[in-house]
Amino acid sequence: MEEKDYIYLTPMPVRIWHWLNALGIVTLCITGIQIRFPDYVNIFGTYKSAISLHNTAGIVVSISYALWFCYYLFVAKSLFRLYIPNLEDIKSGIIRQALFYFFFYFLGRPNPHHTTPDCKFNPMQKAAYLVIMLVLIPLIVVTGYLLMNVDLLRPTIMVLGGIKLLVSAHYLIACAFFAFLFVHIYLATLGHTPFAHFKPMWHGWEEVEEHHSEEHGHH
Amino acid sequence: MRGIITSTIPMAIIMLFLPIAGIASSATPQNERCIKCHSNKEIAAKDEGRLYVDPSRFAATTHSMIGCVSCHDSVSNSHPADGSHPSKASCKECHSQIQTEYTASLHGKNATCTDCHDPHAVKSPASIAGGDINTMCGRCHESKRIIASHAKWLPQADLHVSALPCIACHTGSKNYVITLYIENKPVNKSTMMDEYKMATYSDLTKLISSDKDIKSLIDNNGDGKISLSELRDFNFRLRGKGMRLWGMMTPEEVTHTYQILDNRFDCTFCHATGPKAMQTSFVALPDNSGGYQRIAVEKGAVMDLLYGTPDFYMIGSTRSTLLNYVGLAILLGGMMMPIGHGTFRFLTRKNRKEH
Repeated sequence: MEEKDYIYLTPMPVRIWHWLNALGIVTLCITGIQIRFPDYVNIFGTYKSAISLHNTAGIVVSISYALWFCYYLFVAKSLFRLYIPNLEDIKSGIIRQALFYFFFYFLGRPNPHHTTPDCKFNPMQKAAYLVIMLVLIPLIVVTGYLLMNVDLLRPTIMVLGGIKLLVSAHYLIACAFFAFLFVHIYLATLGHTPFAHFKPMWHGWEEVEEHHSEEHGHH
Repeated sequence: MRGIITSTIPMAIIMLFLPIAGIASSATPQNERCIKCHSNKEIAAKDEGRLYVDPSRFAATTHSMIGCVSCHDSVSNSHPADGSHPSKASCKECHSQIQTEYTASLHGKNATCTDCHDPHAVKSPASIAGGDINTMCGRCHESKRIIASHAKWLPQADLHVSALPCIACHTGSKNYVITLYIENKPVNKSTMMDEYKMATYSDLTKLISSDKDIKSLIDNNGDGKISLSELRDFNFRLRGKGMRLWGMMTPEEVTHTYQILDNRFDCTFCHATGPKAMQTSFVALPDNSGGYQRIAVEKGAVMDLLYGTPDFYMIGSTRSTLLNYVGLAILLGGMMMPIGHGTFRFLTRKNRKEH
């Protein structure tokens, strides 16, 4: 029998937030496909319903993001610690983690990163989530709101370089999120069992194996 | 105004016979005799200004070609001293087909021809701006109320109203193109919230030397067409002058069948025609008669990624094909992780079992 230990890694608010975001982002991706390619894709009946759903999901995800941001910045005060890579991460951590994923993992070596509630992201995750949470989401949210109120916000749109620039940025970031979904879900299967990382996102508890730790918490 | 299109054939017949009948030569001097008094501002003050005729606007109309007396045929030689009131032709004498079509429409009982069309300033559909058409409708249909009533079902109603002439949806008009207009901010008011207004002929002539045609503003090589690079260059120059190029979806074939069409409630009527349908566009430059002259733009310019029409974009219709492929590449990049890494993971699964 292997010794098993559990840590409470993802508190309930974080789990609710995660699944709300998941539902929101998947809805945004699918409605977004119909909105860009209406002559080929019709999933939601009418174009207008795709747009209404897209706008609603966008508002939900943006409010959820604002709550997340305020919680981590002002309440938990762990935004910078969790999401900003430290000097050690930049100097060697990211490379070490990348080497693990793309080389040592195949040789069967253990994950160099050990997940704890205070340090739930490995250096690569920190860098990725820093870009996603603090750059890409704000950009896609801002462009989304501008595109939702074009006539009213026209002067701002003009200052930012015109509607085509906003549309292009919104679309490309959306593609990046869609692409990230594949990476995100796949990486979540890299635990010691394929579902090891899905379970804590459902009930909060991460199983820690003392001798077989290949954790890769995803949030 | 728009009726002119359906009256093209009778007009062409009249034009054919004008030289033969010798009317052509007399029409202009006759017009000049009339205009001499009727362009006088004092005359304009009488009868609530209805006697005033703007000479440059009138000269640009097709009506000026047939001459004043064609419609006011009872004018006497001693007018106005004899106190007679010259007769006025009714529109249906020439435009009977349009009159029949219009009378049968929803709008037929609400306004007469001259409520919307000034016969002394009438323009062809190609030489009137979409915004001017809406200004005309706005004389009865107040803009705020129109936006509010459309907003009940139409997302971004304010944007739609500013990007479409009313007749695009409320008549059976067909064959839509993108017409681009130059807009600027009022002089000395360059705060961010100022609204853009259509640039006038005099606004634009200030930007070029006096010996040049207004077309040289955008048609750099003077070939009568606007290439994508000329359009981009023009946009760059406009930005520096607080101006912008605004697009409207305008119909080429217009009708007077005012109606509420069910298919216009379906967004895909405009938004799913795809890049194939939105290839044709024009830049409309104001002329000194209050009308517009259109210059054809290179096919597909409105689909340009960024700078062809930086402020004009119709979701679903004017998407950039290049950007579609870039997006696809990003998506495939994301898929490479499960596919590529997953393959190696499968092939090396024994290594992890050993630990």
